[in-house]
Parts: sequence; C-alpha cells; structure tokens
Amino acid sequence: MEITSFKQKLSSCEGVTEVSVIRDNVVKLNLGNKESKDFFIKLREDYGFEHCSLITAIDNQPEFELVYHFSAINGSVFVKNSPSAVMVEVHVFLERDTPTIESISDLWGGANWHEREAFDMMGIYFIGHPDLRRVLLPEGFAGHPLRKDYVYEIHEEEW
Amino acid sequence: MSSKGVRGNPSLRRGVGSKTTDSEKIMEDPPAGDWLALRSDQLLKWIDDAVYNAAEATGMREVVDRVTRPIFNYAQRFSPHPLHFGIMCCAIEMGQASAPDHDIDRLGLVYRSSPRQCDILIVNGPVCEKLRPKLKTLYEQMPEPKWVIAMGECAISGGPYWDSYSVVAGADTFMPVDVYIPGCPVRPEALMHGFLTLQKKIREKEPGMFLRR
Repeated sequence: MEITSFKQKLSSCEGVTEVSVIRDNVVKLNLGNKESKDFFIKLREDYGFEHCSLITAIDNQPEFELVYHFSAINGSVFVKNSPSAVMVEVHVFLERDTPTIESISDLWGGANWHEREAFDMMGIYFIGHPDLRRVLLPEGFAGHPLRKDYVYEIHEEEW
Repeated sequence: MSSKGVRGNPSLRRGVGSKTTDSEKIMEDPPAGDWLALRSDQLLKWIDDAVYNAAEATGMREVVDRVTRPIFNYAQRFSPHPLHFGIMCCAIEMGQASAPDHDIDRLGLVYRSSPRQCDILIVNGPVCEKLRPKLKTLYEQMPEPKWVIAMGECAISGGPYWDSYSVVAGADTFMPVDVYIPGCPVRPEALMHGFLTLQKKIREKEPGMFLRR
C-alpha cells in the first residue's frame, strides 16, 4: 500500500481530521478524544504499528495537546514504490477542566511510563492505566510543574 | 588509688570527651566469684573502663595519645577513601581525575563502592528532592570520622537550578560540608586541590586518638 492510499484510509476513520503527509514517511493527523481508543486499536491491529515511540503533552492554554508517535517497520506501507518504515503522528486536544483520555498501555506496553510522565508533569489523567503514579517527582509533591499556570510559591508552601 | 579503684568515681571520669557522668550508670565492681555471671558486653565494658581508668590515673593516656595521634592522623590524611558515587557531569571529571593523566591514586585516594568503607562523601551534582533522603542515608552509613566535599556549583548552591521545583539549593542545607570546590564542572586539578585542602583540614583538626572517650 502506497503512503498516499494509507493516508486516504486513515482519513476515513472516525474522529480523524486534517490528515497530511508532512515528510516522505510521516503522516500527521488530528484525532478526537472520544474516538481515540478505537483508532489506536485499529492502528495496532490492522496496520501493524508495533512501536509507540513517544507520548508527550503540551500546554497550549487553555487546552492541552497530546502528541503520540507510532512507528511501523514491517514494510507494509510503501514509500516511492519500496517498503519503508513509516510513522504516524497523532495530535489529541483535551479540555483544561477535564484532561482525561483512555490509556493505551494495554496496547503498547511502552506507553506505560510515557503516560506516567505526562501525568506527573502535566496532570493528564489516563483512564484505565494500571499504575498511575508519579514517575520523576517524589510522592506527595503538590501540583504539576510543567503546566503554564504552575506557581513556584505553591511548591514552596506545600512541599 | 584507693583499694576500690577509681572506676565509679564520676569526678575522675569528667575529663575531655567523658562518656557518662551519671553515677548510677557506672558499673560497680562485680562481686568476687561472680565473673561468670557477666554478660559479654558487660565484660567488655568492664575491661574498657579498667584500661581507661588505669591510663588516666597514671598519666599514660596523654603519653599514648601524644604518640598515636600523629600516626593515626598521618594514616587518615594519606588514605582517605571517597565513596564512588556520581550524580551528573562532575562525576565524569571525578572519573577523569582517576585516569592516568591526573592519577589521583597517588594521593592515596581509592574509591570504594560501599559507604561502610568510606571516609569522604563527594556530592557532585544537583541533589533533587527524590535523591535527598538516599544521600542522607549514605552519609549516615559512613563510619566516623567522615568528611563531605561539595563538588561543583550545583552541590554548593543549586547552581543553574537554584530556583527549580525539584532541586535542593545546595548540599549544605541537609548535611555538614567541609570543603567546597567551585567550578562548572570542576576540573580534575581543582578536585585534586580540594582533596589537598581536606588533608590540610584533617591535619589541623588532629583526630585519631587511641584512647578516645
């Protein structure tokens, strides 16, 4: 399957908007929060994306943005008529009042600590995560320090 | 000395570094024929007291200290064992100081991996809140006498992370520090100079008494 037809298939999925090929083998798309788990299951099972490279969170004020990178190296997608490793870059936008999303650590085991870090630093809550604790900061730390509205004096008082 | 001995007389025990002045806690002479009734720790304490009191009463303690102090001090000064513990980029410089170019072994410094065998704790990097209790535990596991070297800006004051949400503003906020070595990171020569400064400090303080109380 050539990468342009792969892009067409992705854009027909539910909740997917603004699909574009940003480099030779990188597809970028926006995804709705509610449809995210179904899309990720399809990405894992149907298209064979075996590796979750990255989950990170951005504070865009007021909303949060989650960025996922998935890569497939099985060669099922062709770039310029040759089997190639491809990457899908998924952007999910979350509301500031309820920053929650379905956990994908049951699909990709490596997503476990990425999600813990996003929870630790940015306060994103992953529903269904087996062990959502802080990973970098000590237990009992108050607040999520990478949020733009984090105030250092809060840390001084409560910690 | 009376026939009962000076043991149990608090006035004679109240010297420099006297362990206890409470007359109730000082052990009485065991009654004759009761030696087997002593526990091993009681026997050791009895022998300890007897030797100390004899040395104190005859003035031998001063003599022994005068002889052993320079020897013990010499030994401690020239064979300090730092803990092999690295946090950040200063640890790379610490490794470079051991490499053939600088060869810090010739100062008698041998890095040990267990805090039970060490005299010096080198704090080389930013101490974050999560590391602080572990570093404090390492310091408390080291036997006396012990010294702490704060190596680099991060260990002295927090360095570039001084107002961070997770980095402690200097190692001296939670443990006593003897020598500060500035630098970011510290060069191996500066680390060597820090060890020589610590040697000077050990010589001036003169620890290492044989019959110390």
